Amino acid sequence: MFSILIKKELIAILQNPKFITTFAVSSFLIILSVLIGINEYKNNLAQYDTGISLAKSKIEESRSWHSINAIAYRKPDPMQIFVSGVNNDIGRFSNVSRQGEVKLQNSSYSDDPVFAIFRNIDFAFIMTIVLSLFAIMFTYNAVNGEKEDGTLRLLFSNSISRAEFIASKVVGAWLGLVVPLLIPISISFLLIISFDINFRFFDWSRVLTLAFVSITYFTFFIIFGILVSSITKSSSTSFLLLLTFWIITVFIIPRVGVIAAGQIIRIPSHAEIESQLDAFSKDSWKNYTTQLSKTWNERRLQMEGMSESEKAMYEDDNSWGWMQTDDKLRKINEENITDYSRKLFEGYKNNRIELRKLALTLSRFSPASAYQLAAMNMASTDIALKVRYEDAIQLYKEKILSHASQKAETDGDSFGLRISMDSEKGISVEGGRDQNMLDTSELPQFAEPSYTFAQIFEPTIIDISILFILSIACFGLSVYRFSKFDLR
Amino acid sequence: METMNKTAPILEAVNLSKKYEDGMLALNNVSFEVKPGEIFSMLGGNGAGKTTTINIFLNLLEPTSGEAKINGIVTHESPLEAKKNVAFLSENVMLYPEFTALQNIDFFVKLGGKLNYTKSDYQKVLKRVGLQTEAHEKKLKGFSKGMRQKCGIAIAILKDAPAILLDEPTSGLDPKAGHEFVKLLADLRDEGKAILMSTHDIFRAKEISDYVGIMNKGSLVMKKSRAELQGENLEQLYVQFMAGYMDTVA
Ligand SMILES: Nc1ncnc2c1ncn2[C@@H]1O[C@H](COP(=O)(O)OP(=O)(O)O)[C@@H](O)[C@H]1O
Ligand SMILES: [Mg+2]
Repeated sequence: MFSILIKKELIAILQNPKFITTFAVSSFLIILSVLIGINEYKNNLAQYDTGISLAKSKIEESRSWHSINAIAYRKPDPMQIFVSGVNNDIGRFSNVSRQGEVKLQNSSYSDDPVFAIFRNIDFAFIMTIVLSLFAIMFTYNAVNGEKEDGTLRLLFSNSISRAEFIASKVVGAWLGLVVPLLIPISISFLLIISFDINFRFFDWSRVLTLAFVSITYFTFFIIFGILVSSITKSSSTSFLLLLTFWIITVFIIPRVGVIAAGQIIRIPSHAEIESQLDAFSKDSWKNYTTQLSKTWNERRLQMEGMSESEKAMYEDDNSWGWMQTDDKLRKINEENITDYSRKLFEGYKNNRIELRKLALTLSRFSPASAYQLAAMNMASTDIALKVRYEDAIQLYKEKILSHASQKAETDGDSFGLRISMDSEKGISVEGGRDQNMLDTSELPQFAEPSYTFAQIFEPTIIDISILFILSIACFGLSVYRFSKFDLR
Repeated sequence: METMNKTAPILEAVNLSKKYEDGMLALNNVSFEVKPGEIFSMLGGNGAGKTTTINIFLNLLEPTSGEAKINGIVTHESPLEAKKNVAFLSENVMLYPEFTALQNIDFFVKLGGKLNYTKSDYQKVLKRVGLQTEAHEKKLKGFSKGMRQKCGIAIAILKDAPAILLDEPTSGLDPKAGHEFVKLLADLRDEGKAILMSTHDIFRAKEISDYVGIMNKGSLVMKKSRAELQGENLEQLYVQFMAGYMDTVA
């Protein structure tokens, strides 16, 4: 019985003139997006390779261990082909030097702002927006449409249970819509292979998980469409309701979540933080000067009544100690400021992390955001990518600088001159542009942040669970509602 | 007649009552039975409770009290079991507009549990009910009411269930189609089906029925066999019972 119902649903979908069009459009969009993604990835990779050799020659040209200048490049991730995420929003490299802060710069969008306006149409985008809409288009009248057509009575004059009917709607629509979707997805995978994209086992696991999550998301919309069609009387009502829900879940909640989080956690802007720091350091320096002049006054008082020669002698005796005291005071003051600044920025960073967490939590009320978050996690193009890279670059900076300091001590570093000692040749001093000034071969290499599959899968579990729970709840609800549906 | 009375009824209404949520008493203690090879006609005007009765037999409605049985199975207790034994034809047969006649028939007949028919079996029955061959592969959306009705009858015949429920099956059919339909129904009766038909067509009811019941305002006000109706003027009886009712109301 069940298989007969499913077969009928399948025939209904496949015979529907909408079907060929939507299948063609979604296949075309998916394949096109993957082709564009592949092209972009290859460009990014070429850019990355050029960058790496540029950075290498720059390091080799360094003349002093003190002014070593490295560049760390963000390595393109092949998963960006499917989910570009923040890939184009964050910078591609950061300078690594003693003076400069670690900061990713030159994002694709800052290079070419026009793309920022149109964003990237990638696989995840097509799933989020286009396919969810298609799912609704095929299910909005699944149940109430049969009532409108008058076929429910004849159908239920047979030995069919209501739950069976709803289940056949879900399974039929799922098979009719999801199985065809596997065709463009498989073609995308073939493109990955034929374009020689370096997909490791790790990447295949990620992309297959992405496909799984995408299908779960799509399934949610199929079931939701069936739910709404089983709780409304007319198909025009259910279509309007679903369209409204679609707009809210795809466009509104994700944004409202971020805005609402911003309202709940007020964080001062970067500029505010800086002016706060500025005020603090001005204050401390003022304190420092008053204290300094006070000490000097005290010292002058101690010398009162001394003759000029006694004074000179007294000063001679104490000046070293005084200098040390003054220096200590200055150092304490400097440390205070650094301390304060560190705390301030740490608090700022923590606040931002809290804000992000809250924004994500709030926007997860929308299945579309849950899906997008999961997709970005799978592709490692999520919002935390910037922080992960900057942390890795910071680590690299510390390594490289400590290596440089060590080298400067052992090899000597006299502003571009190398002094080497040799038992036979004696002391020799080398210098000059044409010579390889520094032996940079042992310089630490930048290690990109790397993760295991488990590490990226773990934060995705919540989003996958949300989609699963919502789908099951909607299915349960539509079975329940349909048990009260007036079949006449 | 004697032997027939001994066989168990296929369709049975036992003190069936239905009160809608708005307080409307649509059925009031209705009892009747239909045995194999019998046609029972419920005769009554609009709002008499005919469709309500049939809906209870199909478990599309729950009775407020009493029970409807098909093959001895109480429909609101084991609807899935009960419905295996019944075919149904509504006043206005509605099928899937995007499916062809044959696709519709294939679906509904298989749903009725008959999985072994071939396409030529379908075509044979469609010919028997008078649907022209050109229409077999056409989508239902262009079909007239009469053509849809023919498909519905074909489905009912192919389901080959012991009981057949017909809700005003001839309303809206032209006289020729109506006549052909009645002939078909007689054939089905002769095959041993128990047929319950609601109608407000007195002439057809008299022409074909083994028993006629007159329904008025939810009550079965009269029930007579073909023998009892012999020589009686059913039209007069009908008017009489309606009038009698009117009197009691007044
Ligand atoms: N869902 C309902 N709610 C309330 N009253 C109803 C409902 N369905 C039918 N009725 C009423 O019950 C009575 C019997 O209806 P019905 O069985 O359809 O009559 P018939 O088929 O004999 O014309 C009518 O008065 C009708 O208005
Ligand atoms: Mg009726």
